[in-house]
Amino acid sequence: MTALRTPDVPRTLDPHQPPRAATRRSGPRRAARKTGLFGWLMVAPAVFHIGLWTAIPVLATIALSFTDYDIFDAPAWIGVENYVEIFQDPVFGQATWNTLVYTFWTVPASMAIAMVIAVALNQNLRLRTWFRTAFFLPQVTATVAIAMVWLWIFNPQQGLLNGVLAVVGIPGQAWLADPEWALPSVILVGAWQGIGIKMLIYIAALQNVDPSLYEAAAVDGAGPIRKFFAITVPMLKPATFFVLIISIIGAFQVFDQIYVLTDGGPANSTTMMTYEVYRSAFQNFEMGMASAQSVLLFLMLLVMTIIGRRATKGDEG
Amino acid sequence: MTAEPLTTRSLVTGAHEDFVAKPAGRRHKRWVGRLILNLALTLGALTMVVPFIWMIATSLKSPAELAEFPPTFLPKVWEWSNYPEALQAAPFASYFRNSFIISASHTVITLVFASMAGYSLARVRFRGRELVFLGFVAMLMIPTYTKIVPQFLLVKFMPLFGGNDILGQGGSGWLNTWWALIIPGGLSATAIFLFRQFYLSLPTELAEAARIDGLSEFRIFSRIYTPLIKPAIATVALLTFQESWNNFLWPLLVTTRDDLRVIQVGLAVFQQLDGTQWQYLMAGTTMATIPMVLLFLFCQKYFIQGFTNAGIK
Amino acid sequence: MTIWTTRHRRRRAARVGTAILTATALGIALGACSSPAAEDDTDPNAISGDLTMLTPIFEGTAGQKLLEEELLPQFTAMYPDVTVSVDYTNYARLNEKLTTGVVSGLVPDVMMMGVGWIEAFADRGVLANLSDGGLTAESLEETMTPEIVDAGLWNGDVYGVPIMLDARFGVARMDILREAGYDHPPQTWDELVEMADTLTERDANGKLTRTGFDMLTIEPRQMFETALFSNGGELFSDDNESPAFDSPAGVEALQRIVDLFHQEKVEDTGFSAPNATVNPLINGRAAMAIAHNNVWTQAEAADPEVLDDLEPFLIPGDAPSMFVGGTMAAVSATSAHERAAQKLVEFLASPGPALAANQQRGNVPALTALLDSEYVQDDRLVQFAMENLSVAKREGGPPKWLGLRGDVAPAIENAILRKKTAKAALTDLAATFQKKLDR
Repeated sequence: MTALRTPDVPRTLDPHQPPRAATRRSGPRRAARKTGLFGWLMVAPAVFHIGLWTAIPVLATIALSFTDYDIFDAPAWIGVENYVEIFQDPVFGQATWNTLVYTFWTVPASMAIAMVIAVALNQNLRLRTWFRTAFFLPQVTATVAIAMVWLWIFNPQQGLLNGVLAVVGIPGQAWLADPEWALPSVILVGAWQGIGIKMLIYIAALQNVDPSLYEAAAVDGAGPIRKFFAITVPMLKPATFFVLIISIIGAFQVFDQIYVLTDGGPANSTTMMTYEVYRSAFQNFEMGMASAQSVLLFLMLLVMTIIGRRATKGDEG
Repeated sequence: MTAEPLTTRSLVTGAHEDFVAKPAGRRHKRWVGRLILNLALTLGALTMVVPFIWMIATSLKSPAELAEFPPTFLPKVWEWSNYPEALQAAPFASYFRNSFIISASHTVITLVFASMAGYSLARVRFRGRELVFLGFVAMLMIPTYTKIVPQFLLVKFMPLFGGNDILGQGGSGWLNTWWALIIPGGLSATAIFLFRQFYLSLPTELAEAARIDGLSEFRIFSRIYTPLIKPAIATVALLTFQESWNNFLWPLLVTTRDDLRVIQVGLAVFQQLDGTQWQYLMAGTTMATIPMVLLFLFCQKYFIQGFTNAGIK
Repeated sequence: MTIWTTRHRRRRAARVGTAILTATALGIALGACSSPAAEDDTDPNAISGDLTMLTPIFEGTAGQKLLEEELLPQFTAMYPDVTVSVDYTNYARLNEKLTTGVVSGLVPDVMMMGVGWIEAFADRGVLANLSDGGLTAESLEETMTPEIVDAGLWNGDVYGVPIMLDARFGVARMDILREAGYDHPPQTWDELVEMADTLTERDANGKLTRTGFDMLTIEPRQMFETALFSNGGELFSDDNESPAFDSPAGVEALQRIVDLFHQEKVEDTGFSAPNATVNPLINGRAAMAIAHNNVWTQAEAADPEVLDDLEPFLIPGDAPSMFVGGTMAAVSATSAHERAAQKLVEFLASPGPALAANQQRGNVPALTALLDSEYVQDDRLVQFAMENLSVAKREGGPPKWLGLRGDVAPAIENAILRKKTAKAALTDLAATFQKKLDR
């Protein structure tokens, strides 16, 4: 439980401060109980809300995953049959693989880009408000309209992408219609759309970095790159942990882009786990199956999160 | 700095000049670096913005021009009338108002309760804290489409509302009410998680000093720590507002009355099964995006208030 | 350009206007010639209740105005004790609305759904049997073709009544055909192949600039079904217990499509897509296509000059036919006001309201008699669809259809992309279907 602290700020500047031990001695037990109560009171509304509106649905999902439930008749207990079936389903296997590939490419790439942009935009640039707005724009627009724009960009005949490539002399592709290129195309859109929110969080986190650290480093003769790796990256660790976990979860749950851009095609080359969950639940009316697929998604995310937490060496510095 | 009164706040503010005078020889190098940086950012920003320019351009084209091949980038004839015509396609004024009420309520609820929870998880020691935190993170991992049916059932069987008895039977619960639109989506685990990470990055010494000054625990939270994370507050506010503003499925499911529907439902009118009215969809989306851009520009000012001056009054 | 635009706008505005006028006129006529008391022996005042209705059509201000200000007042004038509150959704989210409704037990009294859905919902007891209330297949067949009536039947009884249809068939750009020396659309498959080949244009680099026959702008499943039906194939066996599209006729139909892509190379994948901004027929990037009847409406908006050159034709084959989907109205089995709900369904399916609804969306009325209406006579593609309703075929059959149909598109794409042969793609798909049907 060590917070990131600013090393050169003295503990207290108040010369009249009594020694710390004195405050602790006056009843540590009662104080601990008091802060414990305070902690619970502060977190209680959230626990209640999330418990009611998310935990109950999550528990229901887990329970339903062991049933055959087609929405018309009451759920019937069938044990692990749904899971057995999922493991035999090549389409869900494909969806799982696609999801992993999508996550692998979108998360680290857009995190790195977002961090660099955030640091750049934390400088005192004249146009920084406009730059920030530009990078955040993809985040604020509803996906459907923007996806249509991407459909045009990817259009093999009249699209922007092939046009630009032709100028450089690279042969164009059929992008979304080509099973080889459809997933990379979707990944590109995902990365593009995800940069804004990550950048924003990094910019916000950078405000908590004490500039005197940079000044001290400058005095030591550190260049911008060393400053970036020696100060910025470590100081952004809590934010990075957050961004990493949220991005992984977001990438695993990618849905809108697939729904609008490719419908999972061509030939299932861009179908994702959530897309299969949606198809099971609302097209096939197999709620039990959809729940089992969701539980598998949940378990995979859990593993990824644990790995992520290890990778950022915990979130607390 | 010595002139400043010594308060708990001055602990974090310290004294920093924004720009320390640089040796003259470095100025030139710095200037070149700035130019390259600006160029790179401009290029990146253009990549981000081109789709939007195209969206706006499309919103000003006639169907005839949209059908042209090869497509034009800027409209030949600017069809401004697409905007008033798009507005006529659905009762957008009331949809807009509803979206605003819902998004604003979600934002307020989230800012209050998520910051409390986030602070508690970051800065207050209590038994079970780690478990609660991991629970919140785990709650993010089940996809929307599986949660939505149980959530709908919770709304429908809400006891003592909408003609329901104490067991939730007999009526329609919160369906077709503002409760259903505002409460279930009012708080997200993401916001709690974000707040926690931001409170974590603040020094613990602040609280210790404040306790000595005799501040209550709640005031330490509300008066000492929270003002220091304005950038985080702005971020959560922006993201929460944006997410509810773009929400479509939930408001559609829990309401049947047109007077409770939201702006995204209005936009769906332009997307019909076999043929979308692109110029109207783009005009509508452009109009729906403007409030978000304004909100972003408004929140901007909190992003430039960094560590250096957050505590200075 | 501007002239056309304004003209189209006026045309569009005029169309919605006429829809409302027609509705009013026919409504009056309907009210006059068939007062509800004369229609059956029930006292109209016995029909009462507060009805809820879920609809994916009539959306937007224009649709809402038509429904709530023109059509429903006519209905409530006939049945003063009935009120109707309408819940609007769109087709893309109809499943979610119906699912939450069924799960929570709040099924709307009257709901509209697509062709191929009635089986599932009737089979599971969600829908009321309208034959109990006097609507029989025979009585419906007096006003509609049997294949259309069939879409609303389950076990021989009526559960859904068709209101509007969407048809897919061949459409040719006659100006382009004439340039190449053809004066009529293809009448045999060989002729179609030959014409498509001639009409395809590529630039010096081999890049496709015009396809002779576009198969990519409609959804792959519906494209295949159109070809399948025209070639004499069926989706399912007569008892709906097993798939039938992997028959020689079905394999041949798919093989022909694959050949058009890879032998004759009349179209390249990616040239168009179901969500394309504009149908390639309209801007001359396709000489012929398998298209939806609303190409007409789209052309009317984008370039009314091409309207005269849009010529519909049945995809040739052993049994030239067209593929129809549509919107059916049904009543909830748990409705507290089943009689009133049924009356509302009958009203919406009656000539006046049905014509108005179709006119508002540019769709094909299910009632054969509406062929003579001005709206249908003015829209050549809708007119063509109505003239050929006798050879129309529909999707669906088994109650599990909704859970099966999503597997069709990937299989067709696999064949078109030559990841599988046409035969293997259909055989594998049939095996998947059979497994799910037997479950």
